[in-house]
Amino acid sequence: MRIPALALKRKQWEPFAFASPAMVLIAFVIVFPLAYSFYLSFQNFDLSVGPEHEFVGLKNYTEGIFRDPRFLGSVWNTAVIIAPSLVLELLLGLGIAMLLSRVLHGRPIITALLAIPAMVSPVMAAMAWRMMFGVKYGAINNLGRQLGILDVYFDWFSSPFISIVAVVLVEVWHNTPFMMLVLLAGLQSIPQELYEAARVDGANPWQRFWSITLPLLKFTMVVGVMIRLIDLTKLFGLIFVLTYGGPGGSTETVAFTTYLAGFKDFRMSYAAALSYVIVGGVLILTLLFFWMQRVREARAA
Amino acid sequence: MAIALERSAVVPQRAKRHRIWRGLGDALTYLGLATALVFFLGPFFWILTTSLKGNEDFFAFPPVWIPAEPSLKHYVGLFTRSSGARYFTNSMVISTLSMISALVVSLPTAYSIARWRFGGGLLSIFLLVLRMLPAIALIIPIYIVYRTLGITNNYLGLVVVYTVLYIPFAVWLLVGFLRDFPLEIEEAAMIDGCSRLRALAQVIVPIIAPGMAVVALFSFIATWNEFLFAIVLTGIETKTMMVLVTSFTSGGTDMFYGEASASVVLGVLPAFAVAFMLQRYLVKGLALGGTKG
Repeated sequence: MRIPALALKRKQWEPFAFASPAMVLIAFVIVFPLAYSFYLSFQNFDLSVGPEHEFVGLKNYTEGIFRDPRFLGSVWNTAVIIAPSLVLELLLGLGIAMLLSRVLHGRPIITALLAIPAMVSPVMAAMAWRMMFGVKYGAINNLGRQLGILDVYFDWFSSPFISIVAVVLVEVWHNTPFMMLVLLAGLQSIPQELYEAARVDGANPWQRFWSITLPLLKFTMVVGVMIRLIDLTKLFGLIFVLTYGGPGGSTETVAFTTYLAGFKDFRMSYAAALSYVIVGGVLILTLLFFWMQRVREARAA
Repeated sequence: MAIALERSAVVPQRAKRHRIWRGLGDALTYLGLATALVFFLGPFFWILTTSLKGNEDFFAFPPVWIPAEPSLKHYVGLFTRSSGARYFTNSMVISTLSMISALVVSLPTAYSIARWRFGGGLLSIFLLVLRMLPAIALIIPIYIVYRTLGITNNYLGLVVVYTVLYIPFAVWLLVGFLRDFPLEIEEAAMIDGCSRLRALAQVIVPIIAPGMAVVALFSFIATWNEFLFAIVLTGIETKTMMVLVTSFTSGGTDMFYGEASASVVLGVLPAFAVAFMLQRYLVKGLALGGTKG
């Protein structure tokens, strides 16, 4: 084969010049602010006090990690919201993807329709559901009363437990479609011959699922769960609209608490420190996840 | 002979049983999918009908699910009284500008990575790490900087942030499209005396335009949907639809249903359009954060 010499030949500066606009922008809008924020996290910058600030060492970090019940509570809340959401999204997503893979007619249109919730903003999803949960005019109370299940106009956001259930419900509604799309793509990449061979060998559907579908889908499932896990640690817009962290802070997530520290209390340095705690937490979580996968694979091999 | 007899007796029976199971399986499949469709699309349907209700329909019992006389007055109210027209325009302008500038900045970078392996693979990892970065870690320093510069209530400030947030995603997808592009075409253009930049703009871009449209639509919707930067960095004149919607929550659980639902309908409209246009790319786009800011 002839080597396309001209297009590959280049002046030394060209690759750099082509990439430079993006690099410069990233440096100014991401790298510099992150560095500035890191610097701020060791200061006591508080906009409600004034523009002066001085070095306070690790004070913000120790306060956030050890002494602030609100932030520690939000870590717990975030975990309580993430765990059931991930499980439900994975199970429901897998179920729907398997149903879809059985469908012969109209699969693209059904898939596109089911994918819509994942395309809308968390804010819009939460707003639609907040209105559905509405006390007097909400669809849920009205339907419940019409069917005779509810005899009062129930306030769904009056108890912490039901509020968390509601947050998980909306989150599952919002992001199960994503899991479904990922798993459907994974299912379609499994060669059909494997199923035919298994059928010839007399394997029943249950055995085919356990010995073919699940092992071959494992990697896709890991990737899907990983992406959802990382995104769930950023949960903000949905909380802002659906519960605003209430009742009594029971649905405040880490991102939401950090937002309040920065833009309600104006404790910029403290919020910067909290945001670095979150970044660290997500990093540890990601590494832990990969490490667990590696250990399990090593054990399997 | 004995074997043949046995077979003819057994096979039809098994085939029949098989057919019944299959029929039952198909019925359950469609039943399951119908349930899923009701669950995932029901809220949209309810929001749409609610936005078309008259005020008296809200108080009716038994509840009105489909208004007998649909009216557009909540949309009119949203556009006039609640300045919805302005915020809708804001969202459109900011999303369009961010989409264009993200493409313009990302294309040469993607070209550099695809053709010359600029950054030697490290750059791609760096871009992926940016995708994982929580927005809350960025908004605090950016707010302080913008406040100092006095551009917290400014289109430009938001567009710059969205452009940069979008670079990782756009570069990642564009590199894929550019790798598939035949080098010979580009080479031919350059032999004819085209500079590299011109070859990129006039030869490559028209051919990979469909791919670029995918990136553009995803970045449009991501900007449209973004909330954290929008609520912190916008003022009364530059609010986007996402910020407008949250203003309806201040009335407690029984807020202003008519205009609130109308604003949700307008807010999810682009998502509906894009979900159908980009069916083939939904997995990739969503996985890479194509709809998040």
